[in-house]
Amino acid sequence: MLRYTGRRLLEAVPLLLGIVTLTFLLLHLAPGDPTTAYFNPNIPPDVIEQMRRNLGLDRPLPIQYVDWLRSSFTGHFGYSFSQHRPVAAVIGDALPNTLLMSGISLVLIFVLGCAVGVVQAVRQYSPLDQALTVGALTLYSVPGFWLGLMLILLVSTPAVSSWLHLPISGMTSIDYEFLGTWGKILDRARHLVLPVIALGLASAAGVARYTRGAMLEVIRQDYIRTARAKGLSERQVILRHALRNALLPVVSLLGLYLPLLFGGTVVIEVVFSWPGMGRLLYDSILARDYPVVMAATFLFGALVVAGNLVSDLLYAVVDPRVRYGEGR
Amino acid sequence: MRLGSVSAMDLRATGFRAAALLAAALLAAACGGGERGSAGASGAAVPDSARRGGTVVVGGQAEMPGVDPLAPPPDYMAAQVERYVLFMPLVQLGPDMGFRPWLARSWDVSPDSTEVVFHLRDDVTWSDGEPVTARDVAYTYRKATDPDIAFPNRAYFDRWDSVRVVDPHTVRFRIRPYSQFLFGWTQVPVLPAHVLEDVPDSALATHPFGTSAPVGDGPFRFVRHDQGDRWVFEANPDFPAELGGRPYVDRLVYRVIPDEATALAELARGDVDLLLDLPPQDVERVRSESATRLLTFPASTYAFVAWNTRRPLFSDVRVRRALTMAIDRRAMLEAVRHGLGSVATGPLGPWHWAYDSAWRPIPFDPDSAEALLAASGWRDTDGDGVRDRDGRPFRFTLLLPDVQVRQDMGVMMQADLKKVGVDLRPATRDFATLAGAIQDASRPYDAFLLSWSEDLVIDDRDYWACDRKDGPLQFSGWCDPTLDAVMDSIPAALDRAVKRRLLRTYARTVERAQPYTFLFNEDRAVGVRTGLEGVEMDVRGELRTARSWWLRPGAR
Repeated sequence: MLRYTGRRLLEAVPLLLGIVTLTFLLLHLAPGDPTTAYFNPNIPPDVIEQMRRNLGLDRPLPIQYVDWLRSSFTGHFGYSFSQHRPVAAVIGDALPNTLLMSGISLVLIFVLGCAVGVVQAVRQYSPLDQALTVGALTLYSVPGFWLGLMLILLVSTPAVSSWLHLPISGMTSIDYEFLGTWGKILDRARHLVLPVIALGLASAAGVARYTRGAMLEVIRQDYIRTARAKGLSERQVILRHALRNALLPVVSLLGLYLPLLFGGTVVIEVVFSWPGMGRLLYDSILARDYPVVMAATFLFGALVVAGNLVSDLLYAVVDPRVRYGEGR
Repeated sequence: MRLGSVSAMDLRATGFRAAALLAAALLAAACGGGERGSAGASGAAVPDSARRGGTVVVGGQAEMPGVDPLAPPPDYMAAQVERYVLFMPLVQLGPDMGFRPWLARSWDVSPDSTEVVFHLRDDVTWSDGEPVTARDVAYTYRKATDPDIAFPNRAYFDRWDSVRVVDPHTVRFRIRPYSQFLFGWTQVPVLPAHVLEDVPDSALATHPFGTSAPVGDGPFRFVRHDQGDRWVFEANPDFPAELGGRPYVDRLVYRVIPDEATALAELARGDVDLLLDLPPQDVERVRSESATRLLTFPASTYAFVAWNTRRPLFSDVRVRRALTMAIDRRAMLEAVRHGLGSVATGPLGPWHWAYDSAWRPIPFDPDSAEALLAASGWRDTDGDGVRDRDGRPFRFTLLLPDVQVRQDMGVMMQADLKKVGVDLRPATRDFATLAGAIQDASRPYDAFLLSWSEDLVIDDRDYWACDRKDGPLQFSGWCDPTLDAVMDSIPAALDRAVKRRLLRTYARTVERAQPYTFLFNEDRAVGVRTGLEGVEMDVRGELRTARSWWLRPGAR
């Protein structure tokens, strides 16, 4: 297992290098550079030239590339062109916000998704199953940003806001600094409700469909009949014997959903004014803020690679038959 | 001196964070309703003491890149925060774009106009307690003009040659005479030398001063900045009483809300008190809701089509006039801006003090347009629906930025011109390519459509003067020596009435020649929550009066 993990980590190195190299090339091939952002005839050409020099953009591309690699190895990543701060600080501000939102969404996706899927499988063809199927398919086909906007409108209508006063944007209230510790935690939690729902619900619906299918397959197996014949309660049969086996394919979904989740944050963060990585990446691409874009792509890449690895390792944990790295 | 800049709308859609001087093309309403300029209403009866308190939340679309006045990129919102919230410029612009004392109590100009002496206020302190002195002014000037710093608007000080600190509150400059010499000092606030002078040039742009630890002397002080989320400022209790004293509100917060629908919902809920840059399609909603009111004011931005008069197709003034008459500009303004603006009457818009409200736009009159085209030799001789002359059809390419609104405008023009037998082919270009093409010395275009923001002090010689025909901004290639004389005398004119006459002559001359078809002037719109009073806005900026905004007790 350790050897396998090591090998996978080594494989990630050329992959990540490829990602950043491609990003670097695409960024520099795209028309414009950070100084094009100010097409303002008030700015004389020599000032533009000096800006380019100050940003180090006058050097040959290969040198800029090697320089970037060198600075990223030291974990510094250079300075943001558009925010005048070290890239590490810029990302350090945004990354935790995104991890918080997507982490909680991930929990929602799998807990809610699995629970609904199991209930549906157990009550197959019941009105409840059919209602949940319709609901899940509907949610699955709804784009996250649209769901987000609908939630905002819903929560803002007087009829709803009179009993459910949820914040619709940002991470904290304006008076956040003046709240007590519990007040702060509650305030943050309230701000998380809508974005997490908008980000996670569609994926949760997908997981529910998947779990339902996997459960149905497992429930028909002989060992389930055996378990029932042993006189185990239905609860034990489902939760202990069926669920664990049904979860195998679902766990591998984790690796698939991670990139989807990070992609989703870009849109959801814009809709809910969430100061996270998705928006940072988007804004930085528009501003041609090369150092931030490079570092953010690198990070997203690394997170996805790590997520895939974790899901493969989890696979071994839940399925005793899977043993990595042995006998090779 | 250069003037104007492409409107941010054209930039934004290509993906560039707003840049330009005065930009962001969105809004406002000749279409009725909507308060023009001020939203203070019944405030006069409320005593000062009852206006104190509360937090005003201002919502805007984009994060500010920082509040260091010298660091690029130039940003519309950040410039306002620097000028009106955190720092103090030496001089302020009055409603007539004249110069008013601010940090400088007064100034003397030597009889030959080569020396300026500023007398600074002695009651202003930085937020760390240090006094604001002449040394700060000298430092600001040196850094703004230092080639290594690459201050984007260095041209403000092109005619300023040297500085000398006379005493702590007196500073003397040597300049080359120019009537608008003070303009730069209205735009660039004075910086705290004691904080920055030991910082090496190369480290200035990334110094925490611009992002996390600004030291200011303006009506508000910096409290905190949460990246991508908000900037928090608090009232400066030491702001000089003579200049209005401590602001009424306790706190001013700038919140970044990138999504327009979310921002509108926040305004309606009262979690945002003032929403900047309303998109035209939302104006009606803000006007009609009881919890909000609409504020509109003319911006110095206009949309136009530049005709390349170097090409035979557009060299005849009758043809250019005919094209303008054939375009239904009123319908275009309604369609793309919901009427937020006014049909243009030339280069000078209603935002400017010299604008004459009696000016009428060239009428929409396809019949006269056809007559003019026929008179200049363009007739449809082969019956294909397109006019021709000497065997050449009247067919041209219109370059457009890749912004939906501009493309819509291109399509409307195409339809209008088709009716008079002119074949327009719209061609979309990404912004970087378009910007390159229109400034290229070979002038590789027939015509292009863009919106443009004028500097608050008009000097348009770069666009029209004969001796700048090869300059990057002489887009149309049209010029007129008699106009040159008029434009040359505008900057030097000191008398208000003379200046007004010259500016009007200039505007009328350009309008007659139609080197551009000036499409429409844009208004900007702002949503204000009921209960926020004292808000006044004009072309000088949305935050100009922030220090006298106040909240009714129920709205705090």
